[in-house]
Amino acid sequence: MFHKTITGNLLHRNIHHCGFRAFIGLSILLATLLGWPASGTAAEGLRIGVAANFLQATKELAAAFEKQTGIQVEATFASSGSLYAQIANGSPYDLFLSADEERPAKLHREGNADKPFVYARGRVVLWSARKSSCSATDWRQALADPAIRKIAVANPETAPYGAAARAALQKAGLWDSIQEKRVTAQDIAQTFQYASTEAVDWGFCAFSSVVSEQGRKGCHYEIPEAPEIVQAACIVKQTQNRAGAERFAAFLLSAPAVGVKEKYGYR
Amino acid sequence: MDFLSLYVTLKLALVATILLLLIAAPIAYVLAYAHFPGKALFEALIYLPIALPPTVMGFYLILAMGPKGAVGRAWGLLTGGSLLFTFLGIVAASVLYSIPFAVQPIKAAFLKIDPRLLENAAVLGLSRFAAFIRVVLPNSIGGMAAASILVFLHTIGAFGVLLMVGGSVPGVTKVASIAVYEAVEAMDYRTAGWMSLCFIPISYIFLLLVNRLNGEARHGA
Repeated sequence: MFHKTITGNLLHRNIHHCGFRAFIGLSILLATLLGWPASGTAAEGLRIGVAANFLQATKELAAAFEKQTGIQVEATFASSGSLYAQIANGSPYDLFLSADEERPAKLHREGNADKPFVYARGRVVLWSARKSSCSATDWRQALADPAIRKIAVANPETAPYGAAARAALQKAGLWDSIQEKRVTAQDIAQTFQYASTEAVDWGFCAFSSVVSEQGRKGCHYEIPEAPEIVQAACIVKQTQNRAGAERFAAFLLSAPAVGVKEKYGYR
Repeated sequence: MDFLSLYVTLKLALVATILLLLIAAPIAYVLAYAHFPGKALFEALIYLPIALPPTVMGFYLILAMGPKGAVGRAWGLLTGGSLLFTFLGIVAASVLYSIPFAVQPIKAAFLKIDPRLLENAAVLGLSRFAAFIRVVLPNSIGGMAAASILVFLHTIGAFGVLLMVGGSVPGVTKVASIAVYEAVEAMDYRTAGWMSLCFIPISYIFLLLVNRLNGEARHGA
């Protein structure tokens, strides 16, 4: 309805010279806006879906890769479960960097992806934005503090870091006792966001966000009970740019990439 | 099926609706009858939540209601607790989010009242407040009902704001729309399907109610 009115007005004003110029201006604006996405997703560009924990590292890796190869990388960050669901339903990604081995393996079994490979090993830590919070001897003692109001854990069903946190909490016998205080974040990035805005007292965050500039302002505990998070990637079967995807996959394991990964605490 | 989150949704919608009627009626009254400098600015501010992306509201609400934010600190001093990730927190978010949907129909109903009724009330010696309670409110029941149902439905449909400030705590802040989202993310399409199906009859029944109320308002008056 709005559309019709606007067009009608423009046609009417065409008679006047001034209105005609406005019409031309609007057309150019419209054409630019409509043309915008086309220039963003150039044919040789890569679209990669990346687990949220790998955000910082990906930005640096993508910049280095673009410099080296001239191939544009456009990354989308979400929980691994969410990205898996998108790819299984045909979302046009070229490459999937998961936070676990399970989901790439599943995509491979279902015929949606090539054979997965491990690109990083991460770990989950307990992080607080307040430096003064870390006076306990270990993470279990830190969580026992009755002054704690809220603790953030990424959704264990979709976020592997959340699943690792749950496994550690269950192993330590604390899972049931923190239920009252537990807040569910949709992915590990939201977990860190809740913790860094001090909306929660503690967050089970990725070690990679703890070594970031924001992360160094707080303090963290290691969690020996948490399983190491083995992160696998895979090339999506229906990629339109297999050559580019293969180059990025190889780049992920190259020496310069290893340096970046180590910087963010991945092994 | 996640009945708990459906219950949270209905509870949230009910509480937000009642609170909003109490908040929106005086605001609508001011917008309908008062004249003061900056009224247009005030009115635009009230309608701002319609134009803002829910994520923008969610972002500001996290900052404001967090322990460092003004609202969060005041709340902490008053109650000793935190507002984020609690039921009251999502009630506050929903109230802000739906304020335009409550104010607009009530204001329209107020404006439709014959000004001679108010003049009569004044002549008969009713104070402004008494006139509001005894003349304005009874004559704008239709608008109030429309506002309640709109707010109720808008709260049932809320998602982005609640995802950002709710923290998805089962039984407390995990509403049905978030439960659907999480089920889809986890590829649990069975649960997602059943939950989604629940929304249709609920929303449909309430929309039928809106129509009926509108019809009654037309015949009744």
